[in-house]
Amino acid sequence: MKIEAWLFIALAPFFALVATVYGFMGDWHEPVGYLALYLTAGLSIMIGGYLWFTARRVGPRPEDRVDAEIHEGAGEQGMFSPWSWWPLVLGLGAASGFMGLAVGWWIVYISIGLTTVAIIGWVYEYSRGDHAH
Amino acid sequence: MWLSSELMFFAGLFAMYFTLRATSGEMWAIETEKLNVPFALANTIVLVSSSFTCQYGVFAAERLQARRTGGLLNVARWGMVEWFLLTFFLGAIFVSVQAYEYAMLVSEGVSLSSNAYGSAFYITTGFHGLHVTGGLIAFLLIIGRAYVAKKFGHFEATSAIVTSYYWHFVDVVWIALFIIIYFLK
Repeated sequence: MKIEAWLFIALAPFFALVATVYGFMGDWHEPVGYLALYLTAGLSIMIGGYLWFTARRVGPRPEDRVDAEIHEGAGEQGMFSPWSWWPLVLGLGAASGFMGLAVGWWIVYISIGLTTVAIIGWVYEYSRGDHAH
Repeated sequence: MWLSSELMFFAGLFAMYFTLRATSGEMWAIETEKLNVPFALANTIVLVSSSFTCQYGVFAAERLQARRTGGLLNVARWGMVEWFLLTFFLGAIFVSVQAYEYAMLVSEGVSLSSNAYGSAFYITTGFHGLHVTGGLIAFLLIIGRAYVAKKFGHFEATSAIVTSYYWHFVDVVWIALFIIIYFLK
């Protein structure tokens, strides 16, 4: 997984360099540009750093080798939701909330309730009912 | 990925602060006099310490230990729930103290609509405060998950770790905000 990490980490020095050049060429008078560029370097570091630590924890995967067999990657990959209605409910809550801001405040109160139900429903979907564990 | 896009969101806010500061320096000199730096420093220490308690909660979650196995005061045997509750408590103090700080500043005439400084100050710290509040809700949901689960497994632990990433990120953003607003001015 180191290659994924390097793809992002390698971007950081580039953005840091570009930001410095940008700063000197503008005499550091224009903060929006160099700040955004420095933080873009930070953005690459964040993703790259996360992948780096994950790579160290996971170790070499079958995907990293050219002579790997498909069955070597078999087994539990993690917990993934096959399907869910809750994102739709949460989307309706958010959409009606913004509609309320534009149309009439009373709608916002309804959408706050809907959003609360949706968030709790989504977070606990795999902790209750048939999925209780 | 989402945290990275959040970083760019705050990048926009920082850029706004610096641009306004560069164009109206005198206003900055007058308005920043009203800030209570020691007060905010104490609040910052509360938030930073909450990141440490959060990390201890993550260590407990990685041991798949949801609840404490010793007495309440035996910190070494705390589980994820106890550490996250402490984190929640510290985060709640931070938001409350910030609300109090806002009230003091408003009474001194710094408000969202008073001038460019007021807008920049409240929009940057206010959006950060909203993020902290969102993190507090997330902690409650994660603690709830630990209570609902009969067997605390990797499913619960993963969500706890992800929440801690978010919390550390919000904490780091605050440190940057604090340095810029209260020290650089």
